Amino acid sequence: MGPLAPNGIISENTNFLLAFFIGIAFGWVLESSGFSSSRKLAGIFYGYDTVVLKVFFTGAITVMLGLLFMSLFGWIDLDLVYVNPTYVTSAIVGGMIMGAGFIMGGFCPGTSFCGAAIGKIDGMVFIVGLFIGIYGFAFTYPWWEKLYMAKYLGEPKISKVLGMSDGLFALLLILVALGMFAVAEWAERKFPREEY
Amino acid sequence: MKPLKLLALFIIPLGIIIAAVPADKTKHFRLTADELLQEAGAGVQFVSPDAVADMLVKKDPSLQLIDVRTPEEFDAYSLPGAINVPLSNLLSDQFTDILNQDAKMNVFYSNGSVTANQAWMITRQLGYQNNYVLQGGLNYWFGNILSPQAPAQTSSDEEFAKYDFRKSAAAALGGGSVVATEGSGPAVKAAKPPVTAKAKKKPSGGC
Repeated sequence: MGPLAPNGIISENTNFLLAFFIGIAFGWVLESSGFSSSRKLAGIFYGYDTVVLKVFFTGAITVMLGLLFMSLFGWIDLDLVYVNPTYVTSAIVGGMIMGAGFIMGGFCPGTSFCGAAIGKIDGMVFIVGLFIGIYGFAFTYPWWEKLYMAKYLGEPKISKVLGMSDGLFALLLILVALGMFAVAEWAERKFPREEY
Repeated sequence: MKPLKLLALFIIPLGIIIAAVPADKTKHFRLTADELLQEAGAGVQFVSPDAVADMLVKKDPSLQLIDVRTPEEFDAYSLPGAINVPLSNLLSDQFTDILNQDAKMNVFYSNGSVTANQAWMITRQLGYQNNYVLQGGLNYWFGNILSPQAPAQTSSDEEFAKYDFRKSAAAALGGGSVVATEGSGPAVKAAKPPVTAKAKKKPSGGC
């Protein structure tokens, strides 16, 4: 049956409309989890607030279990689900730039829109920076192309690399995530910060 | 109960279930023998040489000709803009991006239709989209596109229109050059409209 759009069950336009509503819901959940506060977001780097880790890993695990169960029930063909191709070098370089921008700016791209939506000026400034970065990269793309395209790995799966089934890897990831949550909560107790 | 414990109580059993069941029950893109036979029988993979010639003359950027013959044969003669993907190397990683894509219309060709058809069947079985076969192969191409035969006086207007088109296409594509002889398949005569497959678009995503 699924995925809906690639199998032609819903049109591309309906797909965009659904994406629009899902996007609004995503923004609402982000905001209500406190992701519009850059102090809360930066807490992950200092250990006083680990909501970023918890929300994203809970999200990832929910999606992972959802997709695996839907695949089990025959509702979705996982081979048709888009997976971002992996370019190792640009993933590392981009990850470092993203991390540096995150700790300096106090937002990641999605949350900056959350912040801007509730009127935070730092969020708006971050968005301006975001667009400078996007256009800067786009216009100088030929300079980076080689770096950007280096070490293409296709769409590797960790479960395949480790030679285990997707389900077993999912279970391991759940255990790892729960372990991380426990460590995160310990860190929150260890490095508390009253007002932020 | 603490939220973490509650979460653990909920997701660990789900994880154990998903780890214990056999993976992937869904039907994949792989075609059954019946489906493949039906597709091959209907000839959905064929693109008429006239359509290819038209695209070549117009320099249509969506056309990607793929020569599935050996590198030696490719070096001796190839169609304009064609790239060489020998059938024996079809599955090598370096060609995956070329064969598995949704932007261009890949047209396999060989001397006859057989080798190109083999390439098509393999890529079809892998679930790749937008791969086609040049009908009749190079033999038909040389015999009919590059050196067209004038139709009989009693032929229909369409035949004459086709002949006129082929004559001008031959002029544009440099007709009358080397002729490949070793053939693998019979030249199939039937001009079909170009196959335009509905490309499955993958949604692009990101944070």
